[in-house]
Amino acid sequence: MTPTGASSETRQIAVEGLWRNNPIFKQVLGICSTLAVTNLVLNTAVMCVALIFTLSLSSATVSLLRMFTPRNIRMMVETLIIAFYVIIVDVLLKAYWPEMSSNLGPYVGLIITNCIVMGRCEACGNNSRPAMALLDGFFNALGYTFILLIVATFREVLGMGTFLGLPVPYFSGPLWDKWIIMVMPPGAFFMLAIIVWVFRAFQIAREEKTE
Amino acid sequence: MREKRWYPIVYMFAVTAVFSSIVIGFTQVTRDRVQANASLAFERAVVTVFPQLDQTRMSSLEIHRAFTEQITEPDETSGGAYTLRRDGRVVGYALPVAGQGFWAPIEGIIGIDVDRTTVTGAVFYEQNETPGLGAEIAKAPFQDQFEGKRLGPAETPIRFSRPGRDLRDNEVYAVTGATQTSTRLEGIINAGVNAWRARMGEEGGAE
Repeated sequence: MTPTGASSETRQIAVEGLWRNNPIFKQVLGICSTLAVTNLVLNTAVMCVALIFTLSLSSATVSLLRMFTPRNIRMMVETLIIAFYVIIVDVLLKAYWPEMSSNLGPYVGLIITNCIVMGRCEACGNNSRPAMALLDGFFNALGYTFILLIVATFREVLGMGTFLGLPVPYFSGPLWDKWIIMVMPPGAFFMLAIIVWVFRAFQIAREEKTE
Repeated sequence: MREKRWYPIVYMFAVTAVFSSIVIGFTQVTRDRVQANASLAFERAVVTVFPQLDQTRMSSLEIHRAFTEQITEPDETSGGAYTLRRDGRVVGYALPVAGQGFWAPIEGIIGIDVDRTTVTGAVFYEQNETPGLGAEIAKAPFQDQFEGKRLGPAETPIRFSRPGRDLRDNEVYAVTGATQTSTRLEGIINAGVNAWRARMGEEGGAE
């Protein structure tokens, strides 16, 4: 394959993962964690880094083993590989960042059941070369990350008046009556629904234009 | 070979063995660190509630040293509390309290002066409450309120009050938007203090 071919393929994967086939607003996968960890931006960011790590590497590992894995047990093998990477992240956090580990509580471990990870291993890891699977995982995780950061920013600023724990002018002042509901679980549902709506409307409008 | 009936079984065993061994090895390497972190959180909490020990300037190692060298484990005269002694005399108590929070167990330390009434500090080092709401109990603005409070009568040694109201000697502000966590934590503290008072009444009278 020529270098230009490879780079256009990379761009293709990036556009798919970040925009055209975004895991959150297009595939609507992995929204359990979208709802759970997005009330503080810092927690969300760490969660997203954990997902980027897990998703890229497990998809690549599934791809590496795809020639040897019998089809009928492939999902067992995929779960095992995903769990392997998640446990590593979990142990790393416990050992080197215990405060964050206790903030995120069980949600790091729950990446194992995050539908995006299994979904990308099935859709891409199983039938692509390892490098492509790695990129696909990486860009899907980035697509997840940027949506989560948007949700988290709105929730933290509107609900707590802070961003990354630092007070935001106006929103942390007496003029702003904090929307406590934004940091509670219902706030996540509202934000997610609005985000999916806005992004889809935008996407559809653009597609109609290009046609 | 992939068509053989035994192949999937052998393959699964082999893959599991490989990945598990790596995870086990990795956990072994970091195990000491993980355990040290857990016990340090507890030791830091105990050291923090004694105003005689200034933990803000201590490194983790110094906190561990202060805990092991200066703090006495609970014995029959302390009613289950850790004590700080100077020249053999008790100068303060650190009472562990624990109970169920809204989502997960809450564990904390309440510092009590030798007069058994003045609160010298409170730290909640183990909790899994809602980040941004109930989890505020683990932060300084909430915990700092306890210092200097005076424990009230038997039913309510400590009361949580609605933010904005005037506070009495035994009252602190609850966490806004976290009624469940606040109510449960109030219960945990009061149950702990009352149980300690009962034990002290029986055994500690000899002081």
